[in-house]
Amino acid sequence: MKNSMLNHPAPPEQKAVPSQPKQRLAPEIWKHRKEYLAISPFFIVFAIFGLFPIAFSMFLSFQKWDGIGEMTFNGLNNYQFMLTDPEFWKAVGNTLLIWVYSTIPMLFFALIIAFLLNAAFVRFRTFFRIGYFLPNVTSLVAVAIVFGTLFSNNYGLLNYVLSLFGIPSVEWLNKTWGIQLAVSVMVIWRWVGYNAIIYLAGLQSIPTVLYEAAKIDGASGIQAFFKITIPNLRPIILFTVITSTIGGMQVFTEPQVLVGNDGGVSGGGLTIVLYLYREAFVHNYFGYGAAVGWGMFLLIALFSILNWRMVQGKPSND
Amino acid sequence: MNIRRTVSLGLLMLIMVISGCAGTTPTEKTKTLTLWYWNRSLDDDLIKAAEQQFPGIRIDAQKIGGDFKSKLKTTLAAGSGGPDIVAFNDWVAELFTSSDRFYDLYELGAQEIEQDFLEWKWRLGVTPGGEMIALPIDTGPTALFYRADLFEEAGLPSDPDEIHEQLATWDQYFEAGQKLQEHFDNKVKMLDNINNIYNQVNAQSDRIYFNPDDTFIGDTADSSMKKAWDLAVKAAEMKLSANASTQSSEWNAAMNNGRIASFVGAVWMKEILMQAAPDTSGKWRVARAPGGDGNNGGSFLAIMKTSKYPQEAFDVIRWIQNPDNQIQSFDKMNLFPSATKALDAPVMSKPEAFFGNQATGEIFSASAMNVKPAYFGGKHGNLNGIVSRELSSVALEGKNPDKAWNDALARVKKELLR
Repeated sequence: MKNSMLNHPAPPEQKAVPSQPKQRLAPEIWKHRKEYLAISPFFIVFAIFGLFPIAFSMFLSFQKWDGIGEMTFNGLNNYQFMLTDPEFWKAVGNTLLIWVYSTIPMLFFALIIAFLLNAAFVRFRTFFRIGYFLPNVTSLVAVAIVFGTLFSNNYGLLNYVLSLFGIPSVEWLNKTWGIQLAVSVMVIWRWVGYNAIIYLAGLQSIPTVLYEAAKIDGASGIQAFFKITIPNLRPIILFTVITSTIGGMQVFTEPQVLVGNDGGVSGGGLTIVLYLYREAFVHNYFGYGAAVGWGMFLLIALFSILNWRMVQGKPSND
Repeated sequence: MNIRRTVSLGLLMLIMVISGCAGTTPTEKTKTLTLWYWNRSLDDDLIKAAEQQFPGIRIDAQKIGGDFKSKLKTTLAAGSGGPDIVAFNDWVAELFTSSDRFYDLYELGAQEIEQDFLEWKWRLGVTPGGEMIALPIDTGPTALFYRADLFEEAGLPSDPDEIHEQLATWDQYFEAGQKLQEHFDNKVKMLDNINNIYNQVNAQSDRIYFNPDDTFIGDTADSSMKKAWDLAVKAAEMKLSANASTQSSEWNAAMNNGRIASFVGAVWMKEILMQAAPDTSGKWRVARAPGGDGNNGGSFLAIMKTSKYPQEAFDVIRWIQNPDNQIQSFDKMNLFPSATKALDAPVMSKPEAFFGNQATGEIFSASAMNVKPAYFGGKHGNLNGIVSRELSSVALEGKNPDKAWNDALARVKKELLR
């Protein structure tokens, strides 16, 4: 291609293509100034509240700053402290555990709910759709308080139920696993309906002819589910896995309201964002907080790619 | 038509932007002082009364909810837009390194009133360099809160004076706890949580984590850190704690159900206890704390360097914190005075029904007069957080206390390197 371009130059086209836009760019913009003006608020707001903080946090991550005094250049010390701080790695571990505990059951339940909502025999479907979606728009702080009461050590509803069966009460929020379970249950409760609605949309976009054809060929319901529904839902599943990964890496309000800034006993609820919040806004290491933010960014990018690889599978399969 | 519409729209936006930024424009005569405080840190009526006391001054009092310290510090980080007067809690020492952001109250006339205040409390607002950045509001003298009925039933002394005599040390207090729990078959616990023991032992000390030159002394025999740790661990090993963390719904329920027989706390715990445990009214008493008198909490007022009217601001806070007004604040909302004169006021001997008509003010006054001046240092809160986490692990997850101590010290050392 390149050779042929060189051998057969086309003078009239070349003149027309590169020179025209350059000369006309400014007048073009001016001509469409109203349109550009109309869309400019987004870009202005993004530059102020999106682009600038990102750039500033990059700058800040190399500084030592308590928020009040002078900023001093700190080199890579913040990053070095982060990588050698056992609490950071604990926060990473906690976040991953909570993510596993919450995302897998959540997407599983969401798929079942979506399947049921899509089934012909269910009545009042709109009511159920709204019902399942409602937790997603509930104030997270209120939710955390309610769940805190459920999991309360001595007077919680869960322990009351256990006592009915003669099982000794469990100090849920005094144990690492208990805190992680409580946080995961909150995440599941909140996001299961949201993902179910997305799956429902995906289910409804699968052409019914596929199922009819399968039925004629004698496929069972289960076979149809695994051979038609799941493969056709794959892009949707990929979407939900990646969004839940990003969301799961950023779990913050649930543990913060449930067990406080330190993540509760032995820091079981100390997630990466809670760690970032504590270091930056409670202990006032703003430069360090910025470094943790970038560390988290890299982790999220890494896990999104991993997920994408895992769920998408090898391209040859498609 | 099009142009006119565009122009008028632009004007409208301009008006909105300007009006949003400018806020209320002060008239020539009134000087507005913005005040940041949190709910119940000052008497609202007193702030209104200050406006009448100082004609020409308007006080724009803003209650900042949520995490006050974070909001204050992020505002300071922004460099502008802060209030004239700002309240600090007992983390005042964290702001010593930024003392240049606040007026030195000595320059505004603080010496004249220095002798009116408790010396140890006054010193908490003075930096090691000698600048006074914060004027005391209330103090938090500590004492032992206990259930007289449960103590009596278990055969322990129940009169405040007898308790002061017979439960004078922490060890005596722990032994009494063991006796009480045996009597109640462990259905009643002696104390709420071991983190509170740790904090209260330190609150009774004048040397905790740092020397005034900010060198760490926690691992030396001089400081109370190891002593407080050992006593807290001992309480855990003797199973004296109900493991109910302070200011949780668990704590409230346990207090109201009579599952906790006593705790050492500051005077402001009175209000919290009364709200948490209304059913136990009349059964509580207060005695001088085992291990000695101490202070836990208590707040301050400072004037920011960005203020245009520092002298006026000082006159206002000086008036608000004069002994008479402190007595009024104590009477009305239990803000325990930092003015020495206020400690002799008749209101201190007022009997309180919740405490079986005991005048708890007398106990707390005696405690307040006896507090030793301590230096906290800018990283006190961070270190306390580290130790608290390790103590919780010991109490609730059965972590080995020696390992927890070493982990805490290692983390503290790492923290001090930053």
